[in-house]
Amino acid sequence: MLPNWLIESETYAPPKDGGAFVVKTMKTIGMVLARLKVQRGHEKRHAIPAVIKFFLLVALVLLTSVTQNRLILLAMLALVQAYLAFWPAKDLASILKPALFASLLSVLIFAPAMIMHPQGIYNNLIVIAKVFVSVEMVNIFNHTTQWNHITTALRKLHIPSIFIFTLDITLKYIVLLGTVINDLLTSLHLRSVGKNHRKYQSVGGVMGVTFLRSVEMSQQMYEAMCCRGFTDDYKGL
Amino acid sequence: MHIPENYLAPATCGVMGAAMVPVWVHAVKKVGKELPKEKMPLLGVGAAFSFLAMMFNVPLVGGTTGHAVGGTLIALLFGPNAACIAVSIALLIQAVLFGDGGILAFGANCFNMAFILPFAGYYTYRLIVKLASKNQPAKSGIHYVAAAIGSYVGINLAAFFTAVEFGLQPLLFHDASGNALYCPYDLSVAIPSMMIPHLVVAGVVELVFTVVVYAFIRKVAPDMIYENILAQTEQEPKKHIPVFALIAVLIAATPLGLLATGTAWGEWGADEIAAVENAGKVLGYTPSGLANGWELNVLMPDYAVSGMNEIPAYILSAILGVALLVIIFKLISLPMKGRR
Amino acid sequence: MSLLELKQIEFSYEKDETAVLSDFSLAIEAGQCVLVLGENGAGKSTLFRILNGLSFAQSGTYHFDGILIDERYLKNNRNAKQFHKRIGYLFQNPDVMLFNATVYDEIAFGPRQMGLSDEEVDRRVLDSLSLMEIESLRQKAPYHLSGGQKKKVALAAVLSLNPDVLILDEPFAGLDKKSEQWLLQLLKDLKAAGKTLVIATHADEKFQEIADTSIIMGEKGTRESI
Repeated sequence: MLPNWLIESETYAPPKDGGAFVVKTMKTIGMVLARLKVQRGHEKRHAIPAVIKFFLLVALVLLTSVTQNRLILLAMLALVQAYLAFWPAKDLASILKPALFASLLSVLIFAPAMIMHPQGIYNNLIVIAKVFVSVEMVNIFNHTTQWNHITTALRKLHIPSIFIFTLDITLKYIVLLGTVINDLLTSLHLRSVGKNHRKYQSVGGVMGVTFLRSVEMSQQMYEAMCCRGFTDDYKGL
Repeated sequence: MHIPENYLAPATCGVMGAAMVPVWVHAVKKVGKELPKEKMPLLGVGAAFSFLAMMFNVPLVGGTTGHAVGGTLIALLFGPNAACIAVSIALLIQAVLFGDGGILAFGANCFNMAFILPFAGYYTYRLIVKLASKNQPAKSGIHYVAAAIGSYVGINLAAFFTAVEFGLQPLLFHDASGNALYCPYDLSVAIPSMMIPHLVVAGVVELVFTVVVYAFIRKVAPDMIYENILAQTEQEPKKHIPVFALIAVLIAATPLGLLATGTAWGEWGADEIAAVENAGKVLGYTPSGLANGWELNVLMPDYAVSGMNEIPAYILSAILGVALLVIIFKLISLPMKGRR
Repeated sequence: MSLLELKQIEFSYEKDETAVLSDFSLAIEAGQCVLVLGENGAGKSTLFRILNGLSFAQSGTYHFDGILIDERYLKNNRNAKQFHKRIGYLFQNPDVMLFNATVYDEIAFGPRQMGLSDEEVDRRVLDSLSLMEIESLRQKAPYHLSGGQKKKVALAAVLSLNPDVLILDEPFAGLDKKSEQWLLQLLKDLKAAGKTLVIATHADEKFQEIADTSIIMGEKGTRESI
């Protein structure tokens, strides 16, 4: 027998609630998942191997950071922009937006120093230009490299297999656990029909359940590995 | 708290990275001993959890939200050594795949968030629980109080280290006229501007996030918590001395290392400048230009940079200008294309 | 006007990708029970996301009880809560619906937000528990329950909001024969009480008794049969 309250149709005027954290988190994690699941960038077929590209990136970032020579910095800026000029327009935004954002943030952070200590402005501007070109370079790398190529490439470098194994699992489980969190938050969002007075319990619940699921999944994963003939030897992976 | 690229000098980044090496070695060794083989995938899963925890928007007052680092929480759940590795991997992925935190600053970020934070948080927690249960059996509430204090201490100590790293930059790395080459704020500015927001806001976010998640797990599945796993297998780590010794040595040695490389760097820098000058006008770098000071619009006056050799500067400016024009043109045409 | 009305919906996840739903229209009257059939990947979950206001069509309209449901309407906090209160959604996997420390808290999550008195909330939870025949699980952690028990808790958590429309994604998945019979009877009672039911299923024969119409989703477009 259904209880009476379930039979009556009720009029309901919900109270206001500033619970934006759920939607915000879903958005952030959704973006991460999209980034890891689908590669929107353009990786050419005969691209430079990921490892070489990574070392090149580190070398260039290091050079940018070390140099006090304006000519070198200008050369970096020019070369990177020249390279980007050959890119299709739709891909440019994903490089320039974070770079401009990071530079703008630096301008804000450095603003007090520039005002209080005007003699240092030139050096501060150099740092801001460095931030811009470094972020551009990292984003170019990200945009043109698939993450699974990075882990495959690391394997060839004889990096301890336990490290690569862990990195691989991390990337896979960010997607898996991210989906779990987003589903939990979706359900929480749909059932949040008024003012949630226990927001923090909800946060604890979502991340707590995710933790328990993650332990469960890792157990299952080990069992699945054993079923496929894994013998506790992480070196052979 | 993620330190971006170019705020720290490469030398500082190098020192911090070097300081992390023994920490990582120690953590990997410890984890290898503590974790049974079937729990090995847990490290990667823990790193994924750590990464996602940093993405979580924790509600604050009036619809605003903040992010936690979650280092102490990970340490409470997986143990401090596993937490160190897990957070390091999470930071690596953030730096390399998402551009969050510098690649060169990776060592420094790990030092603050993967080492100082989880270890300080975890051992503060242990200390409080131990003190409270000395004479009488501990009340269950003490675990939450300890987790709260631990996470608050952890994040603020990490913020303090970050502030010191920033604050040392202008002291160590400046040009001939004393202008900072990297972060321009010295300790007297860096420490309060890092610490006040962390003591007031970020510390509270970290505290709340840690306690609510920890409380849920303690209630629902207490046997999943590191402390209780240790108790079950009766391998209670009695000797914290090596860890504490390691922390003490590092805390003492790192600033020294920073200072040492700082002076070495300065000398090298001076030599380098002289060497460039001696090499003739290949690069055309004249240190006198630095001493003269600069005006705001000198980055590229008249399509050339003063104090530089005219021809390469001209060519580079031209390349930069043309490339920027092409990029801007492409970006402007983008919405038009979409409409068609 | 129908209670739920989709008109000429076009939907694709990425701009340049092929549409998951194309020229899709659907009208569901209040009190009806509609089955949604179709192979995996036919767009059932997308349809459910749209009905729940989680995704929005690139073109076409969705009216719920005469109100146009779009991103702008749901951006208003109050509108969204009102809308979600009236539509209950049971996920295929109940695991993703359970994030509270006890079964009691799980079911009380919705009612507690509605501004009901403590006694009223308590009554709703206890009624829901006895309706689901799970009174003994009251203080248990949902996380540790069996699949069938989890499904019951998840359904109770949705029903405790007293929604007008119930959207159920594969409600029989993970249930044994006996629980299936029990759930079918419950759905019958809910339909008799005037609730609108939308059920995605692969086993349409099991719902013959209560279904008014069924929609078959697939590549060749949507067919309706009675």
